[in-house]
Amino acid sequence: MATTTATITLSSTDLLSDELALTTSATLTGHNNSTGVLAAIGLSRITISDTSETTLFDASAYTDDKAHKIYIKNTETTASKSFLVKVGGTELGRLYAGDFMFAPWNADTTGTDCDVTITPSDSGMTAEYMAFID
Amino acid sequence: MATTATITLTSADIAGDPVNVSKTATCTKAGATTDLDQTTGLNRVHLRSTTNKVLLAANAEGDNLAAKVYVINKATDPTLYLTITINAQTVGKLYAGDWMFIPWSQTDTSASIEVAATNWTASTGDIPVEYALFHEDTDFLTNA
Repeated sequence: MATTTATITLSSTDLLSDELALTTSATLTGHNNSTGVLAAIGLSRITISDTSETTLFDASAYTDDKAHKIYIKNTETTASKSFLVKVGGTELGRLYAGDFMFAPWNADTTGTDCDVTITPSDSGMTAEYMAFID
Repeated sequence: MATTATITLTSADIAGDPVNVSKTATCTKAGATTDLDQTTGLNRVHLRSTTNKVLLAANAEGDNLAAKVYVINKATDPTLYLTITINAQTVGKLYAGDWMFIPWSQTDTSASIEVAATNWTASTGDIPVEYALFHEDTDFLTNA
């Protein structure tokens, strides 16, 4: 059993009239248990030469209804360059330059495959991604 | 009005070499370097519904604007998980202590973020859920 932790800190000194400072850590465990997730897709990097939708995680390759977690980062530095992220064809949102996301993913293949895809706004954009697999 | 989000992913033993990934992002408006300037603040609800409930109601005016959503399952019982759904698509499950931080498009009013305490029963106790939205849509009102 591996011990994997995901920590996030959200902070701002001037968004509100009081300072925002939130930090929390999660130990990544399996579906309905306290056992640590067992596998990882290591940090990967992809440069997409055009603006086509590209699959990062193919649901059919993973066991569904599990406690998988995914991490995606837009490595670009030009503000206008974004990746549109979809799960199972449903639009989650756009990762703008420097943005990241961390989300649960159940890799459902019932009905529409719950593939995770990204579509770059410009050609030649680079993303990084990894996953922790239950 | 800079708001930053920092993630750190670590594991000493999930692979042959340690995993240590860290990234800080400054939350900005869509396609700009201007900081996000709106937030719902940190909210807390106690969920006991096994069917989907709207956590954040999508506002079509927010389409193509930047928004970041933070949600955490504050339960301690590992069997109590939240099912996260957007536009009828199950995204995944947040188990006890799990959190997520995602962009949110609000493509239309169907894109609300919904949660369900899928295996809640009267004997399990409620699932405390905390959430916050950082965004740029000036007309967005929490739970409006």
